[in-house]
Amino acid sequence: MKKIMSWLIILMTVGIALLAGTTQPAQAADDSLTRIKDKGTLVMGTSPDYPPYEFLVNRHGKDQVVGMDVDIAKKVAHDLGVKLVVKKMDFDSLLVALETNKVDMVLAGMSPTPARQKSIDFSKIYYRGGQSIVINKTDKGIYHNKNSFRNKAMGAQTGSIQYNLGKKQIAGSKMKGLAKISDLILALKSHKVEGVIMEEPSAQAYVDNDSNLAMLKNSQFNLGSGENNTAIGFRKGSPALVNAVNRSIDEITQKKLTQGYLKHAGTYMQTNTKNTGMWHYSSYFVKGVAYTLLITIISVFFGILLGVIFALMRLSKVKLLHALGVAYIEFVRGTPLMIQVMFVYFGIGLFVNIPALIAGIIAVSLNSAAYVAEIIRGGINSVAVGQKEAARSLGLSRQQTFKSVVFPQALKNIWPALGNEFISLIKESSIVSIIGVTDLIYQLKAVQTATYKGVMPIVVAMLIYFILTFSLSKLLNFYERKMKHDA
Amino acid sequence: MMPEMIKIENVTKKFGQTEVLKDLNGQVQKGQVICVIGPSGGGKSTFLRCLNLLEQPTSGKISFEGQELTSLSEAQINHLREKMGMVFQSFNLFSNMTVLDNVQLAPLKVKKLAAATAKKTAMQLLAQVGLADKAENYPSSLSGGQQQRVAIARALAMNPDVMLFDEPTSALDPEMVGEVLTVMQDLANQGMTMVVVTHEMGFAKSVANQVWFMDGGVFAEKGTPTQIFEHPQNERTKAFLAKILEA
Ligand SMILES: Nc1ncnc2c1ncn2[C@@H]1O[C@H](COP(=O)(O)OP(=O)(O)OP(=O)(O)O)[C@@H](O)[C@H]1O
Ligand SMILES: [Mg+2]
Repeated sequence: MKKIMSWLIILMTVGIALLAGTTQPAQAADDSLTRIKDKGTLVMGTSPDYPPYEFLVNRHGKDQVVGMDVDIAKKVAHDLGVKLVVKKMDFDSLLVALETNKVDMVLAGMSPTPARQKSIDFSKIYYRGGQSIVINKTDKGIYHNKNSFRNKAMGAQTGSIQYNLGKKQIAGSKMKGLAKISDLILALKSHKVEGVIMEEPSAQAYVDNDSNLAMLKNSQFNLGSGENNTAIGFRKGSPALVNAVNRSIDEITQKKLTQGYLKHAGTYMQTNTKNTGMWHYSSYFVKGVAYTLLITIISVFFGILLGVIFALMRLSKVKLLHALGVAYIEFVRGTPLMIQVMFVYFGIGLFVNIPALIAGIIAVSLNSAAYVAEIIRGGINSVAVGQKEAARSLGLSRQQTFKSVVFPQALKNIWPALGNEFISLIKESSIVSIIGVTDLIYQLKAVQTATYKGVMPIVVAMLIYFILTFSLSKLLNFYERKMKHDA
Repeated sequence: MMPEMIKIENVTKKFGQTEVLKDLNGQVQKGQVICVIGPSGGGKSTFLRCLNLLEQPTSGKISFEGQELTSLSEAQINHLREKMGMVFQSFNLFSNMTVLDNVQLAPLKVKKLAAATAKKTAMQLLAQVGLADKAENYPSSLSGGQQQRVAIARALAMNPDVMLFDEPTSALDPEMVGEVLTVMQDLANQGMTMVVVTHEMGFAKSVANQVWFMDGGVFAEKGTPTQIFEHPQNERTKAFLAKILEA
């Protein structure tokens, strides 16, 4: 599903690029290396839920992406003489982020498969790992290698090599794809799947940190050339940058630096799991709540402002305004918020570089505006026509009538519906986590990854969401009663 | 002859294909009280609403104080309406405002009066209709009769030259009709020009200078109250009055 959406986004962005008559960055002359050196930063895109390759730790109250891939990226940046910047996002979004210039390279335990090589360039291999299967320890006697999973449900990350391996090489396989490894482990523990296919170092990390899990090292997958290897991804047509990076990788291979990197990652994983109580991770949740509220509050403000404008356009007697209002409202309500978020971040981002948080706020505001517009239109229509006539008969202009008489009454009529919209905005804004905005959902997954605990973070996040929405609805009720009392 | 305030010439009004007003003519002199009576659906409300352009006549001319209305701009129409107060059958008080705010809204917003001046005038008018003590109440807490008296005060706050009433007592319980009619009678006594659509024949008889009987979109008969009520000429007037009086 997500993959399909990613493709849709690519199609849309290409469409926009064609319409605007610009050429794709990939077709431009190869200034990939000079560009990095000029701006002085190397932006790495990754999905930090894949220990020991990349994961989050909390250092001095701030979360930070660490892991083998980050150490490699640091070395590469150091060798190029530039500063490393790490951008977090869903695994699914990484390729799009490359193509739309959001990131300069992708390190995410990614294998250079022929399919991927068609759309992006890869560096040399920096790590060769096997593919392992993680199972529940109690099932150790039942499963021995991939062939034990005939007709059994198995899990792997959506859009990953492991997903395709399982699908192709296990007879009668029923593959379940999820975006996050932490969710897959949850699925395993609740027997939604019987095994999870993942890279060996990653599997090792989970087994080391969770005594209920075991791993099948010798999974007996028939691995083609690319499939157990890991490399760095670049935008298509950037050989200069790739060559420069390959020199760093040669050195890493010669000096066997990855062993040190993996150990380094191991120490982080131990600090992470030393204390896996939820209270210990409260700063994660606090940050998540702060972002969720920030996005919601700003979006409510602009949602109402734009909602009024679109409602008035739709109610306008000027045909063009009416048509534009209808088109906007119907289009936005007819497409999923998720696509809108991706479109603003990746699509519009092709022309103007919008940070993920701003892109998220823009998308959520624009989306909310369409729904608010319909609520307001209903509210305006619900005001008795006599009220308007009385105001006009006193000499009030259209605008004065709207401002003093119609709108205040409409607002009172639609207050409950508007309140529902805001409450659902708190919940729906969580979709921005797909572009790496650290809202509550994003932080929930970060805690899951850090603690190797699946359920507790979900419970905490659920309670927080409930407290937020419940207090808001109490607050709105208070004002509703107040307005009733007045009138 | 008294100066002529409103002049209606060959006015027609169509809603889609149906012609609701057919070639109406008439004049209202300054200080006159005109009562418009007639059966339901005859076009009385539509006629009244054409006078302040809440409805745009399909053809014909209406002039007010010598000014032709049908060709005015929107801003000019707003200005015109300041001088024509209107009172509706269903009161139409602004439900989001107190009684006082209802009365002072237009003076503040349209006439841009200072707050103190607007409030003082509003309170005087509320006293005039006997509701000074309700100034801070919201309309929903008032009886129908009280609401309609506030609506009259609200229209008077713009200091209009003419007052239009569209069945101001039809929505009231019988015991409240009197208090509203008394306020209207006082207004007439003060010399206010009024056009009143009403089913209150007693009021028409005692207050009106002219009674216009409207049926089927035409003024079937016009005359003094005595002419209309004592010696109606038109068959339809006779039938209408017979029905009203037996009810
Ligand atoms: N906006 C409108 N659109 C279509 N037809 C209308 C509209 N307003 C009024 N009419 C029609 O015009 C005719 C006259 O209506 P009007 O309200 O003027 O009558 P009335 O004499 O005031 O009646 P009543 O005593 O019931 O108030 C009626 O047949 C009515 O259905
Ligand atoms: Mg009527």
